[in-house]
Amino acid sequence: MSTLVLDNGAYFAKIGYSHEKVSVIPNCQFRSKTSRLKTFTANQLDEIKDPSGLFYILPFQKGYLVNWDVQRKVWDHLFGKEMFKVDFADTNIVITEPYFNFSSIQESMNEILFEDYQFQSVLRVNAGSLSAHRYFHENNSELCCIVVDSGFSSTHIVPYCRGRKMKEGICRINVGGKLLTNHLKEIISYRQLHVMDETYVINQVKEDVCYVSQDFYKDMEISQLKGEDNTVVTEYVLPDFSSIKKGFCKPREEMNFTGKYKTGEQVLRLTNERFAVPEMLFHPSDIGIQEMGIPEALVHSINNMPEEMQPHFYKNIVLTGGSALFPGYRDRVYKEVRALAPVEYEVSVVLPLNPVCYPWEGGKLLAENPDFEELVVTREDYEENGHYVCEEKFDV
Amino acid sequence: MAEKKTTGNLRSQDPNQRRVLDSMTRHRRLTRQLEALEKDNFQDDPHASLPQLVKRLPQFDESNESGNESSKRRKKTRGDHFKQRFRKNFQALLEEEDLSVSEGPNYLIACAEPSKFPQRHFCAVCGFPSNYTCVSCGARYCCVRCLGTHHETRCLKWTV
Repeated sequence: MSTLVLDNGAYFAKIGYSHEKVSVIPNCQFRSKTSRLKTFTANQLDEIKDPSGLFYILPFQKGYLVNWDVQRKVWDHLFGKEMFKVDFADTNIVITEPYFNFSSIQESMNEILFEDYQFQSVLRVNAGSLSAHRYFHENNSELCCIVVDSGFSSTHIVPYCRGRKMKEGICRINVGGKLLTNHLKEIISYRQLHVMDETYVINQVKEDVCYVSQDFYKDMEISQLKGEDNTVVTEYVLPDFSSIKKGFCKPREEMNFTGKYKTGEQVLRLTNERFAVPEMLFHPSDIGIQEMGIPEALVHSINNMPEEMQPHFYKNIVLTGGSALFPGYRDRVYKEVRALAPVEYEVSVVLPLNPVCYPWEGGKLLAENPDFEELVVTREDYEENGHYVCEEKFDV
Repeated sequence: MAEKKTTGNLRSQDPNQRRVLDSMTRHRRLTRQLEALEKDNFQDDPHASLPQLVKRLPQFDESNESGNESSKRRKKTRGDHFKQRFRKNFQALLEEEDLSVSEGPNYLIACAEPSKFPQRHFCAVCGFPSNYTCVSCGARYCCVRCLGTHHETRCLKWTV
């Protein structure tokens, strides 16, 4: 009786058996201009020799699963012979879903998992619940924690108390990795080179080069300096997929501060984009999205909670999600929350070693929990009672 | 603000001849830009222009042959059924959810409120903090050089 833990994200699916390691696989299909006939699914991405102008087909829209065709194709591939070789009748599955998931999507998921794939039992949770479970497992004495999940489609701030999420405190900021990449594409296309089609390449640029600044205006001033004093500017060599397979930053010694490029490679010169793009997580109003940034929304969400619990929430802030990987993210969140929180409360922000797989690790712990059998809905249960039993049992 | 038409193609710097957008148009443009940021792809599907491959080659799968005939048949017919039911886009789902009544927090309430801090403005051309606004379209700029670039490339180049 094995358990498969699947953190079904809008960009990456983190999947693995609970007794094995996790694999992070893109949760979408790709089409390439060069290989015209084939549609690549999930990790077949490695087979594509020329990922320029890669066309993404994502099953998620705004964080919710809308396109079941694509999702089922990806799942078929993941559960099939090449990947995990799932023996459905003998496997439990722990699968994540977004907050406030629509009931029609929940029902579709139930149907597909039970009737189409015929898993033995299913547990549907929010990704944050798994992160909270993992956190409480490590810090047994704490009762409350607040999880900041900055993912692909949006950023959610969810308070948890004694293992249950507090629905009144959930706050959603519509800024996620997708928005950051698209914005970076726009500004590079306007200022330097037309890259609007190159989502894959620019996503790589964002991950290699962007960081969160600790002092925004000071960094702005430094990036305006000329010559050697400008420690912010970097030159990024774009891949051309024949000689240069993957983009990289030029080391400082080779950088040409005065402008003419000698070699034939395509180079991007990035100054304030490096820290202005992740700044959007903290100030979405920078590009016109009228919403609070992460630190403000954290404080707002905690203020909606009962008075006695507030200090506990401030002491246990957990950062998860792909956008938590930006260098300097944790320190900046701490600095801003410390500035906004009342003086007498202690503030502590935790960034796990692997923010992307943190919920998956929580799922793994949950699967090994002796109470696991009581949390799941088995196939017999579902066939007898239908969707109702899932609605009751799963707290979404 | 009054709208005055430009004369011909020459976009002169003369303030009397520049078209000025009103606040509603500016707001529409901004909304358009933000919606564009939500797109997955900015290019067309590379497979869109290819003729659909009608005949699918039979796949000789050993695991499928042994006794799972009924489920395989079931899968084929259910495929079309799924396609019709599960092709709704996000807006349709949101409206459906709105109609089904439920008290307490839901998707719309969970959205973050506007920030209490004032908005910071950045030059549309170079990205550094800006102090000035383009008279015609409302874009920000930081210095006269950026204003020149803005007029040549983006100002009023497309309408909403």
